[in-house]
Parts: sequence; C-alpha cells; structure tokens
Amino acid sequence: MNAHRSVRRVGERALRTVPAAAVALALCAAALTAQATPADEFVRLEPVVQQALAVAAPFTVTIETFGGTRQVERAEGPMDGEAPPKARPRPAPKPKPKPKPDDAPEKDKDGDKQPKKPLVTPATGFQQAQGRATGVVLTADGWILVARFALALEPTTILVTVPGVGTFPATRAGEDTSRGLALVKIEASGLPVPTFVDPGEVRVGQWALALGRTFAADLPTVHFGIVSAKGRQFGRALQIDAGTSPANYGGPVVDVQGRVLGIAVPLSPSGRNAGVEWYDSGVGFAATIADIAPLLARMQQGEALQRGWLGVQFDPKWLGPGAKVVTVDARGPAHAAGVQKGDVLLQVGGVPVRNAPHALACISGHLGGDALALAVRRADGTEAALGPIVLADAPWSEQQVKKDAETPASFSLPEPQQGR
Amino acid sequence: MSGSERTRAALLGCVLAAAANAAVAPQAPQAPAAAATPAPATQLERTIALRQPSVVKVFGASGLQTIRPYCAGVVVSAQGHILTLDQILLQPERTRVVLHDGSVHQATLLPPEPQLGVRLLQIDAAKVEGGLQPLWPERERFDRTGQFVVALGNCFRLAEFEEANSATFGVVVGRANTALRHRLADVAYDGDLILTDAAINPGQEGGGLFSLDGRWLGLNMKSLAAKETNTLLSAAIPVADLLPYLERVVRGQQAPEPVAVAKEPAWLGVVLFDKAGRQSPPAYVERVVAGSPAAALGLRADDLIVRLDDFSIRTCREYRDVLARFAAGAKVQLVWKRGQQVQQAQVTLGKEPAK
Repeated sequence: MNAHRSVRRVGERALRTVPAAAVALALCAAALTAQATPADEFVRLEPVVQQALAVAAPFTVTIETFGGTRQVERAEGPMDGEAPPKARPRPAPKPKPKPKPDDAPEKDKDGDKQPKKPLVTPATGFQQAQGRATGVVLTADGWILVARFALALEPTTILVTVPGVGTFPATRAGEDTSRGLALVKIEASGLPVPTFVDPGEVRVGQWALALGRTFAADLPTVHFGIVSAKGRQFGRALQIDAGTSPANYGGPVVDVQGRVLGIAVPLSPSGRNAGVEWYDSGVGFAATIADIAPLLARMQQGEALQRGWLGVQFDPKWLGPGAKVVTVDARGPAHAAGVQKGDVLLQVGGVPVRNAPHALACISGHLGGDALALAVRRADGTEAALGPIVLADAPWSEQQVKKDAETPASFSLPEPQQGR
Repeated sequence: MSGSERTRAALLGCVLAAAANAAVAPQAPQAPAAAATPAPATQLERTIALRQPSVVKVFGASGLQTIRPYCAGVVVSAQGHILTLDQILLQPERTRVVLHDGSVHQATLLPPEPQLGVRLLQIDAAKVEGGLQPLWPERERFDRTGQFVVALGNCFRLAEFEEANSATFGVVVGRANTALRHRLADVAYDGDLILTDAAINPGQEGGGLFSLDGRWLGLNMKSLAAKETNTLLSAAIPVADLLPYLERVVRGQQAPEPVAVAKEPAWLGVVLFDKAGRQSPPAYVERVVAGSPAAALGLRADDLIVRLDDFSIRTCREYRDVLARFAAGAKVQLVWKRGQQVQQAQVTLGKEPAK
C-alpha cells in the first residue's frame, strides 16, 4: 500500500541524484518491501489521525483578542482540607550582618513590623495569551467555548473566526473558573457542532488528539497522545499526555473519530501562572463538557461559576471514619451553619465521609452556590444534621480576588456608534 | 523543556514493536547472528534502520559552558557533504564527524547560510569505507499535519562512535510562521517551520525528521521559543527550503540571480491612534489620508484593523511589523472591525507620496 509505494519512490529519487548510493538504497528498499508485514499499527493509524483532524477542523475556531492589560494574578489562600502544618517551610533566613552599635536605634524602629505578605501577588515575568487562541463551537447558533486563559487579559475586543464561515465579533458571557472555561457568543447560525463524548464512556489509554489554532490557519495543529486518567480536578477534567500549551488551550481534545472528549485548559493544581507551568509536559487537562450541560446553561446567562468553599480544615491525623474539623473559618458558610471545632463530619450531601481527603473531594466537586446537607458528630458524642448549607465561592479564586481588588486601568476606546 | 521526555512515545513504540516482532517471529526465524538485533519488522523500525546511516554525529570545539559542542548532521552527497546547524563551536581544524560505523573524520567548514542558520561541512569521502548514504531534498514539501514522524539525532550526546543516534517519535503538529527566539536572541528564520511533538532535545539539532515511510521532511532545529506564546517548540526546517543553498554549495549550481527590484515600503494611508507607552495599543484608526488606498477602501476613523492577509494585528506595533513584510503594489486581504461588524476587502498597497 502506501508505504510500499513510498519506499520505492525514495529509491528512485536517490537514483537520479547519486548513483553509487542509489544501488545500496534500492537494494535496501527492495529488501524492506519484501518484509512488509500486514499488521503495522502506525501505518494504519496515520490516516485515522488525519481523518479525525479533518472531522474536527470545522468546529475548531480561532480566537483573536485585542487590548486589555490586566496582569494575570496567581492566587494562594486557605482551602478546604487538611490543616496546614504548623510551621510553614520557609527559606532559611539569611545571616544578618551584625549591626554596628550606632545602628541600633534604627533596628528597633523597624522591629518586627514586617509588612504582611499580600494574599495576591502578580506573577512576575509571565506574559500570556498574546497570540491567537483556540475555541470550540458549542451550539450552531454561535455559543463558543474558550479557555479562560485566552481572555485573562480582559480584552476589549474578541474576534472568533469559524473556518470557511467568517470572522465575528464576540461578546463575553459567563465562565467556570474551576474548569478554566469561558463562553463567548457570536451572531451566527448553522455553525458546525461537534459530538461531545460523555466522560463516563471515555477509557483510560484511548487515543487523544489535542487541536489548536494558534499557529496554523488552514488546518489546526495536532498533538497526539492518550487519555492518562479520568476524574481529575475533583471530577472536572480528563488528564491527557498529548502536548497542551498556550498554542492549543481552548482547543478540542478529540478521539480518533473526531468527537470531543474535552477542552484543553491549563489546570495545574498549584494554580500559579494561571496553571500554565506544566505545558507540554506530558500532563495536560481537558475539561469535560458532555456532563456539564446545566452549568453551560448557567454560563450562558453570564454566571461566573467557581469552586465551592465550606470554610473548614480537617485534622490530618484523624484517619476516619469521618473527618475531624480543626479550624472553622469565620468567613465561611460552615461557621454560619454552626459547624464547630472538634466536630467530626460524617456525611456530605448524603455521602458517608470516609476520611479527610474524601471529605475534601466531596466538597470540592461542588460549585459555589450549591447546597449541601451535612451530618456531624459533636465533641459530646451527639449527632446533628446541618444545612443544607450553601457553599460560598472559594475566596482564593481568581474571580473573587478580581472582584475585591481594584481592576487596573486597561486601554480601551469607547465603542464607536453604529453607522458613524 | 519539561516536555522533552516523551517516555510515552518511546514506550508505545517499544510495545508495538514488540507485538509486531512477536507476530512475525514464527514465520521468519532469525539467523543466529541477527538475534542480538532483530531485523526491523514494522514500517517505523524500517525507517529508523534505513535512515540511521545518513544521520551523523558532529562534534565541535569544546569551550563555552553554555554552548553545546555537539549536534547531528545529515549526509547530502557522496562527496562527503554534511548538512548541519551552524554554531559558534564548529571551528576549522576542530570539527569532527562520526559516521554510523563509528569512524571519525576531520571536517572542513563550508560557507554557512545565515538566514537559515545552517552550514555545510565536508569530510574526505575517500576515507569512508563502504561509501556514504546521502539524502537530497525534494523541491516540494511533503509534510502533512497529523502524519507520524521520527526524529533522528544525537540527543544529549548519548551516542559516541558507532552507537546509534536517538530516534524519537511523534506527529507533525502543523506548520508555523511565527516570530521566534532562541534563548533571548531573535531568530532570523522567516518561513513555515514544521512543528512536531516528537521530542527534539539538545543534540538532535541538525539531525533529520523523517516520515513513517522514510521521506526526509526536515532538518531538526535547536529549541526555539515562539514569541507569541512564550512556549518552546520542537521544530524542523522544511528540507525544500534548504535546496537552493545545497544546490549552490554542493553542486556549484549558480542560483538564478534574484531580480534586483528595489522594494518600496508599502503604504496603506492610515494614521493609527498610537499612544506612547510600554504596551502598544490595538490598531485603531485615528485618521485616513485622503487619496490613499485606505481611503479608496472606505476605512474611517475608529475602525480597528485586525488582520492583514493571515497575520493577526493586535497592536499598532504589529501593524507596522506586518506592513513591513509587504512592498508597494502588493495585494493583501485587509480585515477590520467597525462597531460590531467585521469587514474585509482586498487592497493594493501603495507607495507613500513624497512630502
């Protein structure tokens, strides 16, 4: 077949150019052709990959953003989960130069009044989303899924180019910070819509192709790999080993039939640099779509969905059953609902809690605004049912921080009037 | 680059190769001598075996710690021409080429091609036992997005003497014509690169990128970063782009003299709302010069220029950079946004009238 023909062609080419070597090559090629085996996985797989690419190309769209200067922040803060270790690891203090006697008053003045480290510090030296980005058509009437990453600079203008259809200005709708997804809307109809695969049907080890539109305009770029794991990020994402990077965030991760398994998003758990630091590392994430239809509807309404937060920390030494609460954040909904220090959390949303990590997973799989019924055992041995408790938005999430902080000025011009 | 370690691809290759070997073994018993190295059974294995002899190890002078004195090269003539990436430590008298049989040859340096960043070396073909197995580029490009490729080269100098080059497997990710840099320096190369997700590690530069059926697609580049995304790329120069240089230096063919046309700067006739600052603002039109191509097109103040041909224009600076790619008289597709409408039209770029 194909391979057979090509090997022969290689021989012919050498014949035209360098006769001496051509003899060797031609002999070699002939010998190789004779050995051709019918079962050759890569030879059979290659056209399949290209077919999947052809299927997925029409709904893989280009996102271009203009303007906007907001710096991408990294956020760190309290989490639901185990109590942090007492002494945080800190870099070893530098040996201070011995103060001269006449410097002593100055030292006293500074004293221990170290300025408190602000909760949010801008990630230095990191620029992002300056190039084109990628999106996926969600509905035929112009809803487009993108990675929040592409909109992180708060662009004043967003353009979406659907291949073969045209370029449209887009308006920003809601987003899901826990999945790294955002929705934009363009005024179009009859757009090519992909098939979204339910994550329940995805098999670990199946092929996964990550497509992007950052560099190529005619065909999307493709990175090839497998599904590495399911249910990552508290059930929100697949893990894949195909290369994902700013060159394809927002693009579809498809199977060999060109069906969408998820959307490539930067979601490395440390959450610094917008979760991008694991790019092309063999660890990538694809936010699943088929299972979040109700959430997409909320995002279409303009809602910003965020990871839910209860405001408790658990004793890491308590091995279960249940999870023992050691800290209750006064700002959190758990405090308001009457969860107390020393309580053992027995059930979250009707699910019996096995241990602290399990409790964390049960809570973090929900979003802010979700209501959860809790069952706890008090320190005195009595059991109490609490709630339903409405989870708060995670206070460390970027969205929340953005709401609190003053947004730096970004360059923008007033939209010109129609028909001017 | 953390993504360099593609154990998965390697593992996959091994597993599939093993499976194929197992399938073949009963009907094709191996000769005792071949037991140590079974004959290649799959197309990928055959291609690697077929192309290894054409990819050589190149060693330069040692010295600077930050510059690696080793890379790979591709044999391009029976007269001993070796194509490799140019670098500072390839010095006369101190550059050695190691062939697949382990023989070491002193190389002479031929003139480099600064635009592409490549250089030809030559070894004494008379001293090579058994002859060289040269490759020669084709005039057309054959790389297709999504096809499987294998990159050969001496990654991390793992191969010495007769040890074989490393083979890494992946797909053609796509083509990219994007602004590039290597470490902090801009890269002059301006053409469509072949992007791949086959790991191209240090030392693999100068080696070859081959299709599953053994076709020579590209010359592996050193690790480059795309300036737009700030991400590292595994990339190769398409061999078709190397052909003029090879024809000139290896075959002595005189390239057709480029017709010396004084390139006049292109002019559209818009004044942008470009304010000084660290960050260049989007390319909003402040005013349109009467009688200019922009005026003929009907551009107005407050239009936002977003694309020129296939180049996105996100800032006023990018507008100037992209416009500089064209000469007066060039026909380009201009895309602009007016209110909530995206409009486009073809425009012939003019020449700025003398003041």
